[in-house]
Amino acid sequence: MTTQHVTLEVGWTGLHPAAIDLTNIFDAVEVPIVVVQRDSTVVGFNSAAVDVLGLSPTDTSRRLRDVAALAPLPSLEHQCREVITAGVPSRADFRDGDTWFVVRMSPYAGSDGEVAGTVLTFTNVTAFRATMDQAIYERECTKAILNTVAEPLVVLSGDQRIQSANRAFYTLFGVSRDETQGASLYELGNRAFDLAPLRRQLRKLLAGSRRLQPVEVDQVATTEGQRILVLDARPLSFPGHSERRVLVTFEDITVRKQAEAAKDLRSEEELRRSEAFLAEGQRLSLTGSFSWKVATDEITWSEELYRIYELEVGVPVTLDLIRTRVHPEDVSLIEKMKMVEQLPDGGDDFEWQYRLLMPDQSIKYMHAVAHAIRDHTDQLEYIAVVQDVTARRRSEEALAKARSELAKVSRAMSLGVLTASIAHEVNQPLSGIITNAGTCLRMLDGDTPDVEGARETARRIIRDGNRASDVITRLRALYSKEELTLERLDLNEVARQVIALSLSDLQRNRVVLQSQLGEDLPLITGDRIQLQQVILNLLRNACDAMAEVRDRPRDLVIRAEREGGDRVRLSVRDAGVGIDCESMNKLLDAFYTTKSDGMGIGLSVSRSIIERHGGRLWAERHEGPGATFSFSIPIDPEGP
Amino acid sequence: MTDRSLVSVVDDDESVRESLPDLLRQFGFAAEAFSSAEAFLASDVVAETSCLLLDVAMPGMSGPDLQQELTRRRQQIPIVFITAHGDSTVRPRLLARGAVECLLKPFSEAALLDAVGAALRGPYSPAARAT
Repeated sequence: MTTQHVTLEVGWTGLHPAAIDLTNIFDAVEVPIVVVQRDSTVVGFNSAAVDVLGLSPTDTSRRLRDVAALAPLPSLEHQCREVITAGVPSRADFRDGDTWFVVRMSPYAGSDGEVAGTVLTFTNVTAFRATMDQAIYERECTKAILNTVAEPLVVLSGDQRIQSANRAFYTLFGVSRDETQGASLYELGNRAFDLAPLRRQLRKLLAGSRRLQPVEVDQVATTEGQRILVLDARPLSFPGHSERRVLVTFEDITVRKQAEAAKDLRSEEELRRSEAFLAEGQRLSLTGSFSWKVATDEITWSEELYRIYELEVGVPVTLDLIRTRVHPEDVSLIEKMKMVEQLPDGGDDFEWQYRLLMPDQSIKYMHAVAHAIRDHTDQLEYIAVVQDVTARRRSEEALAKARSELAKVSRAMSLGVLTASIAHEVNQPLSGIITNAGTCLRMLDGDTPDVEGARETARRIIRDGNRASDVITRLRALYSKEELTLERLDLNEVARQVIALSLSDLQRNRVVLQSQLGEDLPLITGDRIQLQQVILNLLRNACDAMAEVRDRPRDLVIRAEREGGDRVRLSVRDAGVGIDCESMNKLLDAFYTTKSDGMGIGLSVSRSIIERHGGRLWAERHEGPGATFSFSIPIDPEGP
Repeated sequence: MTDRSLVSVVDDDESVRESLPDLLRQFGFAAEAFSSAEAFLASDVVAETSCLLLDVAMPGMSGPDLQQELTRRRQQIPIVFITAHGDSTVRPRLLARGAVECLLKPFSEAALLDAVGAALRGPYSPAARAT
């Protein structure tokens, strides 16, 4: 304060007390104030000018341009003169080191009313200026980002007019900033956006709704031609601004749409083609397919199946309808498939043969394979293919007949050849024996018996007798020599091969075969051919046992499964005449037979084969008609 | 000895070659045995042989082959075939081709004597040739 007083005393000596109060007020102001006369000399300044700008007391009466503290602003004196001349305030920016000031120059009037000089105020704007710089920098960055974004963006004002946009927007629509500033969005792109739903949504958004349901707009005229765009928008609100704006984005989905359309077209075409393939394949192979939901009896047939059943394509398929076509003797199969539901493991795969009895009394032979599945509600459903194998059956029957005749002939032939060979081998020594015996007798007859000659011929007789006996021994050795050829075997596979070989035989005998071959049987070691002979023999026996059965289906079940931990068992169950107690014991003996044309060797040979595999073969009665023959073999036999 | 007719035996089976000549000699014939058709042809008794007891199936030249060869050589020897292949279809075929008889092994003495007797009395027998 002392300094101020000194200064003021220097500038304004003998001032009125009111003026002194005024100068005190001046000094209390933190903003530097400098008063300059018309002649550009400094009349006075407040203490802030000393403290903040660094004016010294000696600066009073100095010309403005000579004030050292104001040297960085050389034009100040000139500007002050202009303010005095024009009588209007002016301003200038002034930098003092890191500090920025805005200098306001205001004219003041003297007691005569004329402009007496200028009052300079120095407002510190450093902080404000820094904020401004930052804001400008941020804005430039944002602008750069927006202009780099490939997606067109536009900000709409409350009346849905274009406020600002990025470069991608201007490029896409081929417009300039000036052209579109304040223009309506709906005039763009050949008015493609002028859609009621879009207008409504944008209005809602501007009125306060938070999101817009993206709108797809096609046929938008752009610099890239007709495009399909998806418009999305979100509201923008700024603190302190009551007006709501929206930011609209445009996504060009033309290429994606085209690709999708092409793909749709393609997959539709592919689907159509694969359906056509399937239908053609079914037609050519006389194979139909169906699905059957057992619980609801919902049945769906392929077209070919309708044709095979000779039913009009598309009529609803019911079990009753199927029953009108299935041969009465084979109808029980349908019931059996329903029964699967009650099996402990539920569901199974089936392969079966059945016949259709057509209205004209002709018979069609069908071969079906069904796969049982469980749907998500655990309901049983069958997916099956059914092939019309009538033609194949007929040719197979013819073939089988020819084959069995051929077998008969060849058996007779080979027996003939064998007999001839045995006969030759035996006849030679027999011939010698008879001749020698004749000679011997003659030598002993007569007046002078040739005893020595007779002895010699007798020796020859013995030799030839031994020779004949050797032939028989050799023959026996030849036909009893059977060694096991061991390999690792899956009993399922062995059984399947036999089934494949016997199918036509079974069918000819009207036997309905159900194979229940377990999926993961452990392997056994054995002789494939011999085990197949055993299985074949069991199937054959089962077939024969049912030959006279007329009052029930000739069901045959072949089943392979584990027995305990270390054996596998194969059983063949028939619905035939069964076995009585007396037969049961003798059944496996050689030459025992219940058949009129049997030799009684099959089962005994089968048993010896199984025993050589370290297993056993047995027969048992079961509930209902028929018998079950089973054998079991150790998983790891100790050797034959 | 010269008046005794020579019966030659051709058979690959040794017991026949051993036994048959002895029996023939007991009947009063002269007898020679050969183990093959080739051995017989190579011998010096072809022309003297009044009756040939000939096996059908032999290694090398078979019985019928020898028959053909003799015909070619114009050696008309009456032939009695002997075979262990007891096939009834063989006999008529061989008879049709000019054999006197075909004996199926084992055969009886009587059958043998009948056959040899027929051979010696037949159109190509030594008796017939002599006239």
